[in-house]
Order: sequence, then C-alpha cells, then structure tokens
Amino acid sequence: MTKHAAPEPSVIARARGLVKTYGAGETAVRALAGIDVDFARGELTAIMGPSGSGKSTLMHCLAGLDSATSGSVVVDGAEISRMKERQLTKLRRTRLGFVFQAYNLVPTLTAAENITLPLDIARRPVDRAHFDAVVAAVGLADRLHHRPSELSGGQQQRVACARALVSRPAIIFADEPTGNLDSRSAREVLTFLRRSVDDLGQSVVMVTHDANAAAFAHRVVFLADGRVVGELADPAPGTVLDSLRELG
Amino acid sequence: MRRVALRGIRAHLVRFVLSVLAVTLGVAFVAGTFSLRAMLSSTFSEIVDSSLTGDVYVRGSQPAGSAAPTGGGLGDARNAIPLTLADDVAAADGVALALPGFTGPAVLVGADGTAVSSGQAPSFAQALYLDDPSLRLTGGRPPAGPGEIALATETLAQSGLALEDRTTVVVAGSVRAVVVVGEVDFGAPLAGATIVFLDAGTARDAYAPDGLVQSITVYTDPGVSARALVDQLQPVVAAATGEAVTGDLLRTDVRAAIDDALGFVATFLLVFAGISLFVGAFIIANTFAMSVRQRMREFALLRALGASPAQVFASILIQATVVGVLGSAIGVVAGFGLVTGLREVLDRFGMTLSGRIPLDARTVAVSLVVGTVVSIAAAALPARRAALTPPVEAMRDDVVVTERTLRWRALAGTLLTAAGVAAVLLAMARPVPDGGRLLGAGASAVLVGVLVLAPVIARASLGVLAAAFVVTIRPLGRLARGNVTRNPRRTANTAGALMIGMALVGASSVLAASAQGSTRSIVAEASSADFVLRSALSDVPADAVAAVTRLGEVAAADAVTLGSVVIGSTGDDAQPPTTVVGLDPEAFGRTMTIETTQGSLARLAEGDVAVQQATARDEGWTIGTELALTSSTGSATVRVGAIIDSPAIPAPVVLPAELFDRLVPAAQRAVNLVFVKAAPGADLGELRAGLTRAVAPFVVVSVLDTEEFASELAGQVDQVLGILYALLALSVVIAVLGIVNTLALSVIERTREIALLRAVGLGRLQLAGTVMIESVLTALFGAVVGVGMGVALAATMPTIFADVGLTTLVVPWGTLGWILVLAAVAGVLAAVWPAIRAARLPVLDAVTVD
Repeated sequence: MTKHAAPEPSVIARARGLVKTYGAGETAVRALAGIDVDFARGELTAIMGPSGSGKSTLMHCLAGLDSATSGSVVVDGAEISRMKERQLTKLRRTRLGFVFQAYNLVPTLTAAENITLPLDIARRPVDRAHFDAVVAAVGLADRLHHRPSELSGGQQQRVACARALVSRPAIIFADEPTGNLDSRSAREVLTFLRRSVDDLGQSVVMVTHDANAAAFAHRVVFLADGRVVGELADPAPGTVLDSLRELG
Repeated sequence: MRRVALRGIRAHLVRFVLSVLAVTLGVAFVAGTFSLRAMLSSTFSEIVDSSLTGDVYVRGSQPAGSAAPTGGGLGDARNAIPLTLADDVAAADGVALALPGFTGPAVLVGADGTAVSSGQAPSFAQALYLDDPSLRLTGGRPPAGPGEIALATETLAQSGLALEDRTTVVVAGSVRAVVVVGEVDFGAPLAGATIVFLDAGTARDAYAPDGLVQSITVYTDPGVSARALVDQLQPVVAAATGEAVTGDLLRTDVRAAIDDALGFVATFLLVFAGISLFVGAFIIANTFAMSVRQRMREFALLRALGASPAQVFASILIQATVVGVLGSAIGVVAGFGLVTGLREVLDRFGMTLSGRIPLDARTVAVSLVVGTVVSIAAAALPARRAALTPPVEAMRDDVVVTERTLRWRALAGTLLTAAGVAAVLLAMARPVPDGGRLLGAGASAVLVGVLVLAPVIARASLGVLAAAFVVTIRPLGRLARGNVTRNPRRTANTAGALMIGMALVGASSVLAASAQGSTRSIVAEASSADFVLRSALSDVPADAVAAVTRLGEVAAADAVTLGSVVIGSTGDDAQPPTTVVGLDPEAFGRTMTIETTQGSLARLAEGDVAVQQATARDEGWTIGTELALTSSTGSATVRVGAIIDSPAIPAPVVLPAELFDRLVPAAQRAVNLVFVKAAPGADLGELRAGLTRAVAPFVVVSVLDTEEFASELAGQVDQVLGILYALLALSVVIAVLGIVNTLALSVIERTREIALLRAVGLGRLQLAGTVMIESVLTALFGAVVGVGMGVALAATMPTIFADVGLTTLVVPWGTLGWILVLAAVAGVLAAVWPAIRAARLPVLDAVTVD
C-alpha cells in the first residue's frame, strides 16, 4: 500500500480544518466550522446529524461538488481543495462514485446505459465480467433495458448503486440514498452498499438522518453545528439513537 | 392573480426575452412594410401633386392602346387625341394656357459615358414650357432646338454632368449630340426617375410626329372654376375623341392607380411578414408550454388556494399580453428604423424618396394588435393546460407531466396531408383550367398536415438523423438523441418553425432552377438567330434597328415589337387593350423557330394573325375566327391563321409587321428584342464587332449570342431568387431563435439532470457538445423535412405550369445540399449560448434544487 502518497494508506478521504461559510458580513452562515475527520478505506462510514448540522455540505466538499472556504481535503491521496474544474471533472469521472437521494438517473437512457454512463463519458471500455457481477449483485439482470420511468424507486436506486460501482471508483459518496424509499427497498439498497464494502473492498461514505440506515455502517460520524461531535463504531439502530439523544 | 402573473414575468425575464424578440422581428416587418408603403405613397403623391398641376386635363375618351412606357403616364392607357385640339382649347374662354404633353422614353448618357438610370425607375423626356407653372428653371437657360436639353436637378446631380457639358441622348429611337443648358426644379423627389427636358418643338417632332398626343394640360384664368371649364370644353373635345376632366379628378385617379400598385407590393411583403409572425408564434407557444410545464406545482398551489381555472388561464394570458405588447412596441420602433435605413441606402443609390416617414396611428395600432394577438393566440393552448392542473398536484413530490397521446394528431395530420397530396396529384393530372389553384390549396394542406404530423414522425426521423452521432460520438450522441426525442412535441414545434421557411426556400430554389432551365431550353429551341440585341432600359431604339439592318454581314434583323390594340368582336365597347407583338412574317424559320399547334404561320404573310394557345382557349378562338382590332390610328378585321404555343413570344397575339405598323402609332411601339441572322459566309466574330459598333451610340443596347442571351434571362431569375431568399431569411432567423429558445429553456428545465451528468464526470465541453448535437439534430430535422416537402411540391410545377413557360424540371441538388449544410451550421450557432449556459450550471444543483 505504499503507492499512495497519503501518510496513512488506510485513510481514503481526509478533511483538515475544513471551513465553509455561505454569504458574507452579518448574514454569513457558517456551515462547517473547522472539521477534522478521516474516512477509512474499505469501510462504510455514515455521517449523521440534525438538519443544518452541515452533513451534506461536508459531503459536497469531500466530493469536490462544492469548494471549501478554507482547509484541506485529500481524497485517495489527491489534494482536491485547490483543484480546477477540469481536474475535478476528471476526478469524479475516474475515482468517485455517486448515489443521490433522488433524480439519480438520466431519464432518456436505459438502465444498462445509465450504469455504463461514467465509463462511456470517460471513454473507457466496459469490463463485461465486472458489469455482469455488479448487475447480478443488485439483482437487475432482467430490467437492464428499461427506462428509469419504468422502474420502481428501489430499482432506480439500485441502478444508481450499480452505476457508482461499475467504474471501480476509489470511493462512493451516497447522499441520503434511501431518503425516498420504503423500508424494504431501503434495506435492499443498504444491504447492497454494505456488501460492496465487505465483498468488493469498496469504500463508501453515506450521509443519512435515518438511524436504521446508519446501523448498516462500520462507523458513524456525528455532526452538529458544523463540527464533529462524536462517533460510534459498529453501530446498531439502538446505539445510534442513544448517541443522537446524548448529542441532543 | 394579476400580481402573480406580472411577478412571474419579472422573475423569469430571460425566459421570455426570445419570445419578445420573435414578436419584435415579425412586427418590425409588418410595421416596416406599412410605413414603407406610406413613404412610397407619399413620395408618389408629392410627384403627382407637383407634376400634375393643371386645373383641367384633356385626354382620350376611350381606354385604348399604349404599351409604350411613357414617363408622365396619366392614369390608365387611353386613345391619343389630335394635337390641333390644343389650339381649340387654348382659344376657349377662361383658358389661360393649354399645354400638349409631349413626352416619351429617353436615354441620357452621363459623364461616365453610361446611361443614367437607377433600378427600374423610368427615364423619359418631356417638353419644357416656359410658362408651365409646375416647373421652375433654376439654372442656365431653357433649351432651344434639337441640340440643347435641360435636366431635372436630381438627374443633373446623378448624371455627373454640369451646365454647358456636351453629352448624348437617345430620344424617340435616335441618337443626338446635345449640350446641357439648363437645370429645372421639379418640386418633388423624383424617386430615381431620369428626366430630360426638350424645347416644345423638338419634343413635338420626337413624340408627336403623327400629330397625336396623350393629353393636354389646361390652366384656367383666375376666377374660372375647373368644373365650369370642363363643362364648357366637353363638347369641343368630344368631337375629336377627347374628354375633359378636372385636375382634381385626374390626380385622384392617378393616386388611386399608384396606391393599387403599391398595395400589391405591400401585400407581397406582408405575406412574408405573416410567415415570420407565424414562425414567431411557434416560439411563443413553445416558451409558454415549457414555462407552464415547469410551473405545474405553482399552478396547483394556486388552485389549491382557491384560484379558479379561469383565473389561472387569465394569468398566463396576461403574461402573453405583456410579451406581445412589449415585443410589438419595440417592433414598431424597429420597423420605422428599418425604413429609415432603407431610405438612406436608396438615397445613396440615387433614388430620392419623400423625406417624411409617416408615423400614422393606424400603422402603430395595427402592428401592436397583430403582435399582441399572435402572442395571445400562441399562448392559449399552454394556458388551457395550466388552467386544468388539478390542485392535488401541489401535494405530490414529483410532478408527473403526462404526455397526451399523439393518436388524434396522427390521424388529423395524415388525413390533411393525404388530402393535400390528392389535390396536388389532381392538379398534375388536370393542369387546366385550375391547376394553379389546386396546387396552392394542396400545397397549403400538405404544409399544415406535415406540421401537424411533425411530432408523430419526429421520433423516428430524429432516430435516423441521430444514428451517425450515436455511433461516432459516444456517449454524447446517445444523450443528445434522448433529449430531442423525449418530448417530440417540443422538438417538432421548434423544428416546425424552421420547416416552414425551409419548405419555401426549397420550393423557391427548385422553381428558380426550373425557370432558368426552361428559359435556356426555350431560347435554345425558339431562337435560330446568331445574335440577339436587347436594351438595358425600356426598349431598343428604332434607329439602332435600322443601323443594324444596314450592316453588310447581316442577312436579316427581325425586331420583336410590342404595342397594344383593343381586340373585340365588333360592337363590344370599352375592351381593355391587349398587348400584341409585331413581327415580320418572314422571321419565322429565319431567326425564330416557333411551334404551331394548329394552322400555319405562313398565313401571317397574308395578313392573318397568330394567337397563343392559352389565349385562344380562354377566348374560344379557333383557326378562322375573325377578330376586330382597333386603335387610335385605325381598325382592321383579321382572321386567326395560326395557333402557337411559344413562351418565347412575350404577348398573346402576333400581328404581321405591316398590320402592326398601321395600328400602332410609331411613338407607342417598343422594340423588345432584335434577332439577327448573319449573311451566308459572314464571319461571326466580325459580325459581332460590327453589331457592337453599330449599337454603341445608343449606349443601352447590348449584343448577345444565344447562349449569353439565355444566361442573361436566367440571371433575372437569380435576382428575384435573391430577393425571395432575403425575405425568407427573416423567418429562418426567427426559427433559429426558436431553437436557441427551446435549448436554453430545456437547459433550465434539465438543470438537475445536467448536474447529475456533471457529477458522474461529464466535462463542460462534452456537455456543450451534447447541446450542440441536439441543436443540429433539431435544425436538420426541420430542414430535411421542410426542404423535402418544398422540393416535392415544387417538382410538380413544371407539369402544372408547362403552358406558361415552365417546361423543364431542374432540381438543384448542389444548392439543396448547401442549404442543409447551412441549416446544420445554424444549428451549431443556435447552440452556442444555451451550451455556455449549460456548461456554467454549478454541479451542486444536482442535489440542492428543490
């Protein structure tokens, strides 16, 4: 594991002194008030916190979707806080995967086309065996030629997961991936994300406000008012709720 | 609700900018046409007012032949009256002055040695009476004798000549060396006319050698009423086939005739303005449809809060009204700007027009109303859709916009198109008698039918067009294809605007190419001459014909002379005059090859006449029918000896030269063309040199071989085509704006999807590329269907209009190919701004919108 420049190869993403301020002067809002956090390689990490705690902003900054006001972000050994748009695009294309809460798929493309979209964009060849493995894992083999509008919400999220996995990214960011799903579909998606970590060695960072979802993670990081206020290893729904109550 | 509507416009101003622009362009065209018409009308009114200042006019009592282009035309053509009448009138009580109007075509050679002319404006000479109150000598002295002329101030300026300069004029068919001795103020802008003044005696010898004039201008003694004088003169002039009218009546008549002609021009221009507005309506409809689609939640909320469907409907129409009124107001201003600019340009080319550009309330009102009504009408359907939004939509998380089925549309479009095609086929099968009307109706039905069908055929057609992009530019081609086919209605509407313009462009290009091809083949078939003489201005001077005939190398010079006579069965009165051609019967077979369908052209040598097949059919004439020909100089009864079918003859009836000369006074003959045959053994190169030398003094006559002659005729088609393209360009520009509009709006609509694509790694250039491919696909769809339709419809025209000279079908594949290339380029240009907008959208919007 010495090929990565990061000092601790077991860390896939790291934030140091991360500050994000919206607006200026008296109306300025501090979304992130100096965050120091590490995310381990090969783990599913959940970020939790009440509304306005800055959990989504943290994820956007980690994923290079938003730029931090100050501080540094290193993802897979690359300092991204000072990257240009072109470099960020390349980073997203090659090393990051995304699963959003809603509107995850391009409506004009079939499920299969959506899954290979990042590879197509990057003009990289599709590894058929890997593709088939991922598709089989999410259980979509018979829905590949359907349009998103012909898929259920759970199926759509599973397609999004497959898309995130198929390009073998260094890390997957999932923003409330089960926010719009019923509990059964949610469980399917979460099980799949966890298995991608356990079986394929994938690294996943997931933002959620649902304790049941967080319970699927290896570790939970708690945020409040733009700061890291605690963390919990190997959580269960009950312990997550207890921690939330304590932070309260 | 009004507040909601107005706030909506203010909040989404950018969204409506292109709609406003579309209305502006269309209305500018309308307002421009109206004010151009008003400006031309007031220019000619000023000319009428300052040139027709007589209190009473004496003119022929019968409408009769005068095809000769006389500059000072006094209303409709009438029989000429004896010159001696002027003396009788002058002798009457209460008459101060009676001035016979000696006027006719003339050519003035300017300082640069070429004929002074501007566009199609007339060039003529007239007598300068020192006591004529309408003219004022402002410099030099009046001309005296055939060696001197005076010029109108503007003509003097345009010719580059100065007083006391020597130059040449061609008057009544002969060349004269003259000195410019005077400058005359005409009292009104001339609109480009070239006016030469001669002394009265010279003008009489030139234009009234037979003692006949077209009119006599009468000024009354002070205190004598024009009406009373008319009554008093009537018995005197009636005896000599004349009639007296008051100056006011004549001026009104002339103005009405001019207004008629201008009205025709204005109607022609308004057709194109209408096309532009129609195309603009597509943009407005699309804008509102997309804005309504995006704001479904807002309407549902309003409905949930208790707004009635009617209120929601009205709120959209208020927005449409704002767009319409704003666009029209700017359009009116732009229209006046356009006409002001046009006047400046024409002025630079020597065509002075009235300085007043009339800003009349009617033009402003009509323009505003037209623009606003188009805008409201275009928004009505989307408004209805908004009004019918169920309130429950407000509660839904994701607004599902259901696409209505295209089944009824497919049915209606197919029926309409089929009916149109049937009408066109019928027109082809039976071109006579009403092929033209059937084709018009059929073509309109096909156009509308295809527009209706466009959303139905859009998906398949775009799929075919996109195939190359999908294969070569992965994955952009596929994304772009998905975007243009996801809402076929919208793509079809956007492309439909372009389709209309492109159909007309395609049809015009085929028609023009066919007309040129037909002209070439007609000339090749009909002319067996070695050279053709024609004049750049009005007609070939008679002396030029004589000079050419005298050349040794010339075996024959056959002049095709135009004139007009009244044709009617005896007893018919007041028939309008018919244009006739006078031709030496020996010309047939010598310099011209004319097909006869019945009878024989040899009969012309015995005094019979030949008539065109179409005329014979319309009038019910056959071989042997007796025709009564009358003119101011005589009458004759002749038989139809041949029926011909020749577009090369520019008139419905051909008279043998001898009869023509007897019926048409010399001053009213106009030599259209001269066909020259070389003497046997003559060297064509030498003949050409000789001909060129012989006609050189006449300045405006050119010597062409058959090939050049055909090319020159074909060149005229190019000029017309140029004008058509320029007029259609506006509708194409508006259609391209429509593509910009749709792309920009759909980029806004797809913000989240675009952000998602960017999040999974789509680069800015790739995104811009996708938008560009969408744009090119839309443009090509419109262009291919439009041009295809136009070409197919125009291709039927040679079958239908064969008997008016459109004999050959020529499809200009090269031109059509370029049109498609241009459409694709237009697509690329249209995409620039929306692509930049799309590329600038922040990636974060994927997760933060709503």
